[in-house]
Amino acid sequence: MRVVLAEDLYLLRTGIQRLLEVHGFEVIEAVDNGPALLRALVQQKPDVAVVDVRLPPDFTDEGLRAAIEARRQVPGLPVLVLSQYVEQLYARELLADKAGAVGYLLKDRVFNDDQFTDAIRSVASGGTVMDPEVVSKLLNKRSRVEPLAQLTAREREVLALMAEGRSNSAIAQRLFVSDKAVAKHSTSIFAKLNLAPSEDDNRRVLAVLAYLNG
Amino acid sequence: MSLAGLLACGAIRFVTAGRAATPFDRLLHVVRVGWGAALIPVTATYLAVFGAYSLALTPGRANLFSATTVAGSLLCSLITVLMVAVYTALLPWTAAYPAAVGLVALGLYELYVSVVFPPNVYFYEWYGWSRDAVSHSLLPVLALTSVAAGAALSWPTIVADVRAYRRRNTTLTARVQRLTATRIEAVDVAAAELRRIERDLHDGAQARLVALGINLRAAQKLVKDSPDAAAAVIAECQVASSKALAELRALVRGIYPPVLADRGIADAVKALALDCPIPTVATIALAGRPPAPVESTVYFAVAEALNNVAKHAEATRAEVTMEHRAGMLRAEVTDDGMGGANPEAGTGLLGLERRLGVFDGILTVISPVGGPTIVIIEVPCELSSPKISIS
Repeated sequence: MRVVLAEDLYLLRTGIQRLLEVHGFEVIEAVDNGPALLRALVQQKPDVAVVDVRLPPDFTDEGLRAAIEARRQVPGLPVLVLSQYVEQLYARELLADKAGAVGYLLKDRVFNDDQFTDAIRSVASGGTVMDPEVVSKLLNKRSRVEPLAQLTAREREVLALMAEGRSNSAIAQRLFVSDKAVAKHSTSIFAKLNLAPSEDDNRRVLAVLAYLNG
Repeated sequence: MSLAGLLACGAIRFVTAGRAATPFDRLLHVVRVGWGAALIPVTATYLAVFGAYSLALTPGRANLFSATTVAGSLLCSLITVLMVAVYTALLPWTAAYPAAVGLVALGLYELYVSVVFPPNVYFYEWYGWSRDAVSHSLLPVLALTSVAAGAALSWPTIVADVRAYRRRNTTLTARVQRLTATRIEAVDVAAAELRRIERDLHDGAQARLVALGINLRAAQKLVKDSPDAAAAVIAECQVASSKALAELRALVRGIYPPVLADRGIADAVKALALDCPIPTVATIALAGRPPAPVESTVYFAVAEALNNVAKHAEATRAEVTMEHRAGMLRAEVTDDGMGGANPEAGTGLLGLERRLGVFDGILTVISPVGGPTIVIIEVPCELSSPKISIS
């Protein structure tokens, strides 16, 4: 799998690159600033990009902006954004084009290399992976948005795990229920959110989006 | 020469007339003050000279005119001295002193001229007037009229000057008091913040890193003999490093939130609204970014207000609006909760009020029992032009 990596700190860049290579990813380009990232993304069209939010020259949110701009030029380009902190605002901006194939994780999630590489693969295959910290904030929120308010507590849990990018079987394991039960819950969630039956992945993205907007 | 003195005096007053609205106003001011202030000593001098002269002309006939003239001249001199005294004492010396010096110099000059070169008192005889008729009736009337007119014209201006000066003095004193107070508070707040950061680092991340080091050392010893135990310790280390990171993240958020650094106050407040457990709508209309310290303070004020909404208000929805108008950044946090919030009760809002005070900002809490609660944050500031995006 071809990966473009953007990280300005040398130690982290080489660390992540080594980690990715150990797990069988091919890092085709590792850049350390925003403009170079945008160029690499648009020219190389990697299978997935792993991008740090804060990059030179401004050290603000160049990584995020470059990722969004690249996805504007190359729709659905899979991007996993890493950051020292997570903001719902940024999560929504990433998800706004409704194309899926985005991830947004805290940098420390890299520590758990299995989960991290799972997340990269999930994003590469069009999934949506939101950091548990983004999701847990949403869980605390008392939603007043009509369709979300209709969800049962269990369905909200399932939706939260879906937002974290977990597959149905992973959700089933986590909640100690059967795969079938999770499938039932997700069908019910899609129905309540008025998401017409279509490709499952896209519905998941839209469900997560509705959840984030609630 | 007295005309020259008068002009000099007027010029000084014109320069020192301060911030009268227009040049015309300043000129008017000069004419009023200058006329009165210069006319009185000039008239006084002439009265004195004429008085002395008529005494000398009519020995043995120390008539009523001479007595009136001498008394009048003394009175006028007294008024002049008083005016100079009032001006010098009550107005900032930069404004009054040149005028006062001008007046005294003028008076002295007139005195000198009248002594060394006795004025030509026969000028009215050229007109064929009777000397007695003129000196007995016309002169004192003219002199007193001019003095009265001068005093009447200049007095309101002088009084207004003095009042304006006193008012400015009071305002300045109040301002100095407020600045002194807010400066002390700002230093206190900053010191308390540093202490808090130091404590948080010391008890949090620093302690965890120490534990991490100890555990890693332990793992190093265990790794040969009991690899399983070593693995467990290393797993513990990983948890500890994650926790240290989480704590550092929280600490950084409390010092200068990254989203504020990245995007500025508009997006940072939107992010706050998104994070608030109560559904919150943010409406923000800003054409640029306020100065960084103002931005940060207003951000924390809005954060605290939203925090209070989530904690205490029992609200179902909240709203944040922010705008910049007429040099004032204004943020408003409204909720539909139970109201009755007392800013004196909590330390949070009081602390914010002090932090805002540094920028002459104010915090207003309107919270009738039963709601709604409105928190208004206002800080005078200018906006910088929006940053140009690189993408």
